[in-house]
Amino acid sequence: MTARPVVKRLVKRKGLFAGFKGNVDAITLGLKYLVDPKRFTLIYPNEYIKLDPGYRGFIVLHKEKCINCSSCARICPAAAMRMIKRQEQDPKTGKVKMKLWPVINYQRCIFCGYCVDVCPTEALYTVPYHDIVYENMAEMDWGLETFTRPPEHPVEKEGGIPVKYIVDEERGLVKVKAEGEEGD
Amino acid sequence: MSVWVYGEQKSDLKIEGAIARRIAEDLYEVFIGPQHPGSGHMRIIIRVDGDIIVDADPDMGYVHRTMEKLSEGREWIKNIPLFERMAIHDACNVTVSYVIALERILGIEPPPRARYLRTLLCEINRIAAHLYGFGIFGVFMGHSTMYMWSFADREVMVELAEKLTGARLTHSYPIPGGARRDLPQDFPDQARKAVRYFRRRLEEYRKIFLDNPVMRSRMEGVGVIPKKVAAELGVVGPVARASGIKYDARLAEPYDAYDEVEFEVPVFEEGDALARAWVKFEEIKQSLRIIEQAVDWLEKHQREAPMHPKFWERSPPLWKKVFEAEGRVKLLPLMANLKLPPGKAMARSETARGEIVYYVESDGKTTPYRVRIVSPSARNAIVFKYIVPGYRVMDLPTIYGSIDYFPPEADR
Repeated sequence: MTARPVVKRLVKRKGLFAGFKGNVDAITLGLKYLVDPKRFTLIYPNEYIKLDPGYRGFIVLHKEKCINCSSCARICPAAAMRMIKRQEQDPKTGKVKMKLWPVINYQRCIFCGYCVDVCPTEALYTVPYHDIVYENMAEMDWGLETFTRPPEHPVEKEGGIPVKYIVDEERGLVKVKAEGEEGD
Repeated sequence: MSVWVYGEQKSDLKIEGAIARRIAEDLYEVFIGPQHPGSGHMRIIIRVDGDIIVDADPDMGYVHRTMEKLSEGREWIKNIPLFERMAIHDACNVTVSYVIALERILGIEPPPRARYLRTLLCEINRIAAHLYGFGIFGVFMGHSTMYMWSFADREVMVELAEKLTGARLTHSYPIPGGARRDLPQDFPDQARKAVRYFRRRLEEYRKIFLDNPVMRSRMEGVGVIPKKVAAELGVVGPVARASGIKYDARLAEPYDAYDEVEFEVPVFEEGDALARAWVKFEEIKQSLRIIEQAVDWLEKHQREAPMHPKFWERSPPLWKKVFEAEGRVKLLPLMANLKLPPGKAMARSETARGEIVYYVESDGKTTPYRVRIVSPSARNAIVFKYIVPGYRVMDLPTIYGSIDYFPPEADR
């Protein structure tokens, strides 16, 4: 056991000018940041965060890899993924068969990524963005056709500047352009 | 004495917006919440004599979601994302003890790498949750600088957690048998930078908030919980440690890698709001130490799947290929319908607000027979009833903020 409790004491302040140093310190620090503020606001529609490839965003299906096993629908904690029956022509034999295909309802999805991790053939993958807006609830219930195409990134499409937040030793988070050059 | 009618909101005090009624000579009943910014998702019914609170009654349950019952209808691992919703900004700490309880029933122990990864995320979460608490505490007392600063700095920890797990808040990271991802390549460098940044930044927090005489005068001697009273009320976490109780679940029953890393558990004896703020402040420093040690350990040791061999050795070659390429631990399809042997287990972990206890009972099915959760906020809510009376109305936000009460966690 290397952890141990340590009893500490608060520093008591007494006397007429006890608070003087504390006030001066606080005001000096406040003034320092008044002159040189630390801001990293994202000017959203003009810029967007280019997230790491590992980010769990929207889930998309590789239809040719899918083996119709229903694992993703079984593991979904929010019951967002479900299987639908669809008649498909087998490319090899040419026979028409009834098959089960996963579809996702983004009204319910909580982006836990269980389905992606459980898929035995890596048929599901995540795209590293999820700032997609729908006009009505019905559109969020994706059909099989929508599910097999990665959704359009609306900000990227309209020419937003990709930015990235990196941890800086001096200033905490710093906004930089995703290509690597310094941002504003 | 007037009758308070819903919708008409007749106020005896003739103050616009304040719902108050006179219940006796010189005694008014004031409803604080549940939509009041200074109360969160709860209502505190206080009775005031002038400015002095003579009686306080915490009225909880506004965000009750029947989590214990809901969990009985879900498969074992599907409960992990559910229980995260208790305190989403402290997700790993809240769920890790549930996962440990499942592992105890299964009779497995996660590999060392998984234990260190969980510890790393737990400490990242702890700092983020403490900063969140500081922000709320600050804004309750009108110190909006603290609110802006700590919410901005919390973003550093949220970014680190995002790099590690792929999600900002609801990580769903621990899983029975291990953890879901390994460290990304650039993580150790970013984590060390963040630790060095926080070491310097905390000194500024001390200057502008904790040692600021204006804030000190509002916190010092407010909401004092003596050691004996704290033990009798059964408070946990920073609230107990600020009253001199040397108790921490990481110390009492070390889980994950906490028996291998070196850290201190800060204890203060004053028991007032200032001491509670200092406990959290000192805990952030210790969490930074743990993050450093965990990152060092993970970098030094060979990269292998943070998953128990029971689940990993049987997995197909694709599983190993994905792990090599992306560091992602794929789950076996049996995880969805995992059957636990009949048995009971109890596990506890130290969240940012105190100890959370899970009692899990299995009857051999794919869903739990019973999951009992005792969350730290539920245990700390008693402070409102017994500590608040005697203080002034303006002290109520200070006490509320200092115990860092989080209604969704208490109501669960």
